[in-house]
Amino acid sequence: MAYVLIVDDDTDFAEAVSTLLKSHGNETAVEADAEKAVDRIRERRPDAVILDVMFPENDTAGFEVARAIRRNFGSLPVVLLTAVNNTFPLGFSNKDRDGAWLPVAEFMEKPVDLNRLCEKIAGLVGK
Amino acid sequence: MTTATATVKRAVYDLPLVARAPDESSAVAADGPLLLHHAEWFCKLRWLVVVAMLALALVASLTGDWLLQYGIRLQASWPLGVAGALVLANVAYLAMLRVVRNSPNLTVAADRCLWLQILVDLAVLTAVVHFLGSVETVAPLMVLFHIVLVCIFFSSVQSLAVTGIALAMYVLCVALESSGILQAQSVWASFSPAARSELPDAVLAAHVFAVAFISLTIWFLASRLAGALRQRDAELAATNRRLMAATDERARHMLQTTHQLKAPFAAIHANTQVLLGGFCGKIPHDALQVIGKIANRCEMLSGEIKAMLQLANLRSNAQDPPKPTTIELHELLRTSLTAMEPLAAKRGIRFVENIASATIRGVHDHIVMMIDNILSNAVAYSFDGQQVSVACQVKPSGGAIVTVEDSGIGIPTTKLPLIFDDYYHTAEAVKQNKASTGLGLAIVRQVAMADKVGVRVESAPQQGTLFTLDFPACWGEPIRLT
Repeated sequence: MAYVLIVDDDTDFAEAVSTLLKSHGNETAVEADAEKAVDRIRERRPDAVILDVMFPENDTAGFEVARAIRRNFGSLPVVLLTAVNNTFPLGFSNKDRDGAWLPVAEFMEKPVDLNRLCEKIAGLVGK
Repeated sequence: MTTATATVKRAVYDLPLVARAPDESSAVAADGPLLLHHAEWFCKLRWLVVVAMLALALVASLTGDWLLQYGIRLQASWPLGVAGALVLANVAYLAMLRVVRNSPNLTVAADRCLWLQILVDLAVLTAVVHFLGSVETVAPLMVLFHIVLVCIFFSSVQSLAVTGIALAMYVLCVALESSGILQAQSVWASFSPAARSELPDAVLAAHVFAVAFISLTIWFLASRLAGALRQRDAELAATNRRLMAATDERARHMLQTTHQLKAPFAAIHANTQVLLGGFCGKIPHDALQVIGKIANRCEMLSGEIKAMLQLANLRSNAQDPPKPTTIELHELLRTSLTAMEPLAAKRGIRFVENIASATIRGVHDHIVMMIDNILSNAVAYSFDGQQVSVACQVKPSGGAIVTVEDSGIGIPTTKLPLIFDDYYHTAEAVKQNKASTGLGLAIVRQVAMADKVGVRVESAPQQGTLFTLDFPACWGEPIRLT
């Protein structure tokens, strides 16, 4: 059983992801505030993080959280989810577009196939 | 390329690739490169003057005595001298321009080089005026040519300075001749230096005044005209920049709006998956069917929003396009075909592939969008159980040709020029593919314009459609569909 933290301000979406992950035997927690994500990880380190990119206060808060996770928690796998995909970002720089540069394990575009997401998480946690 | 057994001749339509609007960099060209360009242009013009002088020297040496009977005394020595001086000056300028080109402060270096050229040219021109006859002929008015040129290239203050320098040199020439320091010359055989010395000072002054008056009048008119043209040009450039900014802003607004729409649909879609997966308990069969319909509509809307986002993004970065990379076109085609196969298989449609290895330059994501849209259209508008032929060939001149051919519903000839418009559907297309966003070919057009890909459509109703994509060998190479 893995513990997965879902960081997304869209709680309707986050709860749906949480339900499906739980049904696959995982433990989940939802954090709607990007600024609190790192503290939440410190409180209890998850096995994987599902992270949204855009938050109401900052269009690229997800990228900043991903970088903070890389700095503070090294190899903790992060799956970046966004309604804006990596090919067509909203106001991101060319550097941000480079999937290889982003410190995340996966980059998935919303709407996402939840079963595929669960498989990805299982793969990352099983590594 | 395979061809369907067509009983009706297919209409052909080549997508016109509208030239991009001038970009910011060309609208506000830097001073340095512009000055350098002027300096180089002056050098080229000077070679023509050298040729003219050599021709004059040749005429003088061949027909000198013959011209005398017409009252003209032409000597070969001074045109040769002038030509030699100009050749030396031009060689020096060209060497100087090579240094200027690499100068860290291009604007100042090019400006100095240009002013040096102008001053030397005016001195040479004054010498020519002296030899032709500074008072006896209309040679002093040759300076008008310089005045008009500088009015075109420089500000009114700078052109006035050049006019002033030219007039000062002329006055100095006449003054030196009148004082006897320089012996007056003329091409008229009847002219003698003694005759010049007999001319009253008032006549000389009147002559100089007339030349100055004509020169200044021409300067005034030419500089006003050039100034008005420059101002109009600047206004047009500013308006163009404002239009670009407005278009960009509109595209960004569209991008933000569509993103805001996409997020809730993602949540609805995720929740329908939870319900359909039975993770919220057992749901009656009828209710499941309704949820399935909601999920389907959600996917359709998400697809439409994605297409809107793609189009808006393509238009918003039209002025600042992503950098092209090397693309293995055959690999890209196979990836797109693999992704499309499940959808095609549902309707018994199969792909017939004849894909040769080809490497092109382009923006990877753009080309993926283009290929995906054309392949999904071929599947969507084919009849069940048919085949879609996909071929890729390397052009002998470099680049590649990709063809996607179906035997489906086809497109009426009169509708061909409209299919690349936003939200355009033919009545037949709507019947065949209710899920169409109407933006797929608009995206194809936008990519074709951005990446300079030639697009040809050949189609006939009920006979199918053939799309030919002509990828250039080099980024930005003009398209030639053959």
